[in-house]
Amino acid sequence: MSFEYLRPRTLSEAWDLASARPGARFIAGGTDVMVRLREGKVRAPALISLRAIRELAQIEIGPPLLLGSGVSVSELQANPHLARQLPVLVEATRTLGSVQIRNAATIGGNLCNASPCADLAPPLLVHEARVHLASADGVRELRLEDFFVGPRTSVLRPGEVLHAIVVDTPSTGRAIFLKKGRVQMDIALGSVAVLLETQGRTCVRARVAAGSLAPMPVRLRDVEKVLEGAELDDRTIATARQAIERDVRPISDVRASADYRRHLAGALLERAVRTLMNGGRR
Amino acid sequence: MDELHYVGKDRPRPDAADKVSGRAHYIHDLVRPGMLWGKIKFSEHASARIVHVDTSRAARLPGVRAVITGYDTPEVRIGFLRDNFALKRDRVRQFRDEVAAVAATDPDTAAEAIELIRVEYEPLPGVFSPEDALAPGAPLVHERDADGRPLTSNLLSLTVSHRSGDLAAGERASRYIVEGEFSTPLIQQACMGTAGCIAEMDARGNLTMWAKTQIPFLAQRDFIRTLEAMGLPGRNARVIVPTLGGAFGTGLDTHAYEYIAVLLAHRTGRPVKILYDRREEFANLSPRQSARTRIVQGCDAEGRITFRRLQVVQDNGAYTSWGATYPTVMLMPATSLYKVQNVEFDAKIVYTNNTYAQAMRGYGNPEVTWPIECTLDQLAEQAGIDPLELRLRNKNEPGERTPMGLQVTTCGLGECLEFAKTKLGWASKRGKQRGLRRGVGVASLVHVGGSGRIYRSDGGGIILKLDDFGNVNVSYGGVEMGQGLHAALTASIAEALGVVPEKVAINPTDTATCPWDVGTHASRGAFIACNAAIRACAKARRKIFSLSAEVFAAEVTRNLKGILKKNPGYTPPAYDVGAGCRPENFELAAGVLWLKDAPDEPWLKLELGRVLRALHFRGVAGQMVVEEAFYEPPSELPDWSKGVGNMSASYAYGVQGFEVEVDEDTGDVRILHAVAAHDVGRVLNQQTLRGQVQGGLAQGIGYALYEEVKTKDGRVLNPTFTDYKIPTVHEMAFPVDMCFVETNDPAGPFGAKGVGEPGLVPTAPALASAIWDAVGVRINDLPITPEKIVRALREKKAKE
Repeated sequence: MSFEYLRPRTLSEAWDLASARPGARFIAGGTDVMVRLREGKVRAPALISLRAIRELAQIEIGPPLLLGSGVSVSELQANPHLARQLPVLVEATRTLGSVQIRNAATIGGNLCNASPCADLAPPLLVHEARVHLASADGVRELRLEDFFVGPRTSVLRPGEVLHAIVVDTPSTGRAIFLKKGRVQMDIALGSVAVLLETQGRTCVRARVAAGSLAPMPVRLRDVEKVLEGAELDDRTIATARQAIERDVRPISDVRASADYRRHLAGALLERAVRTLMNGGRR
Repeated sequence: MDELHYVGKDRPRPDAADKVSGRAHYIHDLVRPGMLWGKIKFSEHASARIVHVDTSRAARLPGVRAVITGYDTPEVRIGFLRDNFALKRDRVRQFRDEVAAVAATDPDTAAEAIELIRVEYEPLPGVFSPEDALAPGAPLVHERDADGRPLTSNLLSLTVSHRSGDLAAGERASRYIVEGEFSTPLIQQACMGTAGCIAEMDARGNLTMWAKTQIPFLAQRDFIRTLEAMGLPGRNARVIVPTLGGAFGTGLDTHAYEYIAVLLAHRTGRPVKILYDRREEFANLSPRQSARTRIVQGCDAEGRITFRRLQVVQDNGAYTSWGATYPTVMLMPATSLYKVQNVEFDAKIVYTNNTYAQAMRGYGNPEVTWPIECTLDQLAEQAGIDPLELRLRNKNEPGERTPMGLQVTTCGLGECLEFAKTKLGWASKRGKQRGLRRGVGVASLVHVGGSGRIYRSDGGGIILKLDDFGNVNVSYGGVEMGQGLHAALTASIAEALGVVPEKVAINPTDTATCPWDVGTHASRGAFIACNAAIRACAKARRKIFSLSAEVFAAEVTRNLKGILKKNPGYTPPAYDVGAGCRPENFELAAGVLWLKDAPDEPWLKLELGRVLRALHFRGVAGQMVVEEAFYEPPSELPDWSKGVGNMSASYAYGVQGFEVEVDEDTGDVRILHAVAAHDVGRVLNQQTLRGQVQGGLAQGIGYALYEEVKTKDGRVLNPTFTDYKIPTVHEMAFPVDMCFVETNDPAGPFGAKGVGEPGLVPTAPALASAIWDAVGVRINDLPITPEKIVRALREKKAKE
């Protein structure tokens, strides 16, 4: 395994290096790319590290809230502003890998890896985050939801870099992220993020997203429709469980069966809604 | 027994500081001058004919020093039944079969070279379960045995059976009978330190092997045989064991990678290191065997066990390791866990094209304790008897001779059960917390506590070399692999010899310097080593006391002169030193030699080092104190055709109990509290013992709830820690109540029994019992995953 390793200090330098080296890959924390490289699942003549590019490592509290793609998961976890403004994202950071992985991994890497189980995606999806994709030709903005295309596939074009993740003034609702692994430190067998705004027991706004339950992290609009405008009683929750079990598209693999994942989706959704109704998490 | 100064105390292990500060040198750290890196090309089929191997591109890669295959090296037969080869020729029988190997100047070049080797195969049909392998017309994994005799079936010749009492009478006497089929999965030992070795040959053809082994002397024999096969008769193989990062049974056999390193070292004339990475370890190192057991067990109206029948089928995989002898250990719980008179036991082991399996901690015991304890729980349920009470009614007792012929000398099973009962709050909890989805459960174990005889010698030797400074250098042929042997040995030697533990230094295990030992398995390390040490210490004390009579008087007279010089007014007590220097009047304690009838005079005491120097520097009369002892335990090699024999000098008992909470929606099992009570004979070192029990518990929990090597058509599907889950600190975040019952066994060193393996034996059935108590479902196939619980709950609901 041999490759060229480059560490540009600016984005334009990164783009120059990339355009001169066909097949080069951008790399941030390397917690996925390096593993896949060693396993021979990824081949790259050159790795271009984005870690030394300072503009990618910034957090702007805003509004809008802007998270540079190079911010490490540990930094997200420790940021006091985020703990207030986007606690559900901070909650997800605590479930991602080990301390060592969180120190190296970045929010941008977690999303660009485009794994169905990306732990940071569901919390950002329920907050309707947008992404800024930058290339030598300029910046384009799209919804995070439209960023993922399939397992390990995103809309990123060659030479394009995820610059930042943007969340408009965060919702006044409460949100929660629940994840189930085989042991505590694990890839999600299934994860669910739920954001609810309520008036009394009536749900006025619901956002539901899931990880590891479809070929990519997804918003689950059918479930949202069941919850929005409804009284959050046992019947609504049962209907929502049915909806999520219909709405998800899990696979069977060495970690769990599709059948169990489907069941898990319902179990996590019910727990999430009940916890929020009882005043838990925010 | 006199008061103990070091045995049983809470002292840090002698190897702890170096290990936690990164100063211990594992095989991964070792480098030899001129060393090359070896790498193996493994098969890409579970069953195939090798049509052609093209190594030409690999051989041309700069940095490659040798490329070898089975076609251009001497045939090296290996394995317990010699049915395996270091490098395969013509035929592969499992995915991990070694087809070729390279030696290169660095690991990356070696890895690149392996990719350049092209092997052409003609795929053959394979068999991937014992059932398929035994079906009529199934393809044979081996057409011939090691002696060239044709084989007609995939069933190995290693069947083990036992018949005792009258099974039919037992059935007739039963009020309740439970039967069922239970299974335990293929699991990985998951050593922190992966497998590796360095092979180095001198110009005369002698081999030195740095090996991750538990059997240095049997490995020496294996490697000498290999040198003979390589045309090097009469040469020696020296085996040196570096610091080991866990072994758990993986070191009970020698491995193809080790022989390949020897072949590469021979070919290149350079030391060759082969080191598995984690993925290679998972895919290419033999895991624990899977087992499927049919069991029938009965009891009378009072809950007394009336009979027990077990039929075990094990998947051997493609080749045979020592692990194929699991049934010799299975016999022990089958015949001797609780009192049972009428027993039938049959075990079959079957060749398949799966990865071949090997030894792991417990060695057949948990595989059989699982169905025994699970069905005992069901019997209790049927009989309406509390399951812990039922176990108490059937508990083993001292003086008992079991159907297998095991002579129970001491037994603390009753005390262990009572401890679990109290600490779990059994009376107020069992069967009373289903509303909370909480439950408690217990299970017991019996294991060899005084080594386990499965070879013509079950002994071990030790050498104590005392030096001029009072240091005791210890050479013992058994292996410290993380279990704490050196802690136990240090305490025992300090105690038995009369020196401080800081003066005891244990040498690296090396066949060139250490006496023979059969191997560190069967929880025998501390039991054998400390028994041998006690005998060597007694010899050393006799020698020191008898020789000291000749030098002691002159030395203490110098002491007295020194005192009088400093303090001319001092009047020594009237004491005839010459008359006091009788061998039987000497005592050695904490490294100081003194006279029993004058214990209080400082000038009449000598540091051991000073006495040894005096003995050493006496001109022609000079003497060294070097003593050896060999300990062979008083046990029998069982007659395996009948499954009878007192295989151990003592038996260890124990009980584990759990309180769990089960999430009915997700199937998650949360352990709230654990109890581990063990009859250890005597505690040798508190910290080490707690570590052993805690570690066994963690491994047992992994076996019970999480671990399984998953395969499809012989290929390992989860060869990384990403998908092979072992418990971490998060899964172990519950209080553990431990109890060590000291039964002071007559055969044990200071009364101690082996305790290396017991910690994972009863874990799964104890957890299963607690899960039943919490939510009313029983899972017969390990691991008990949330998915299985959810499915069982769904089926239960459908029935209700």
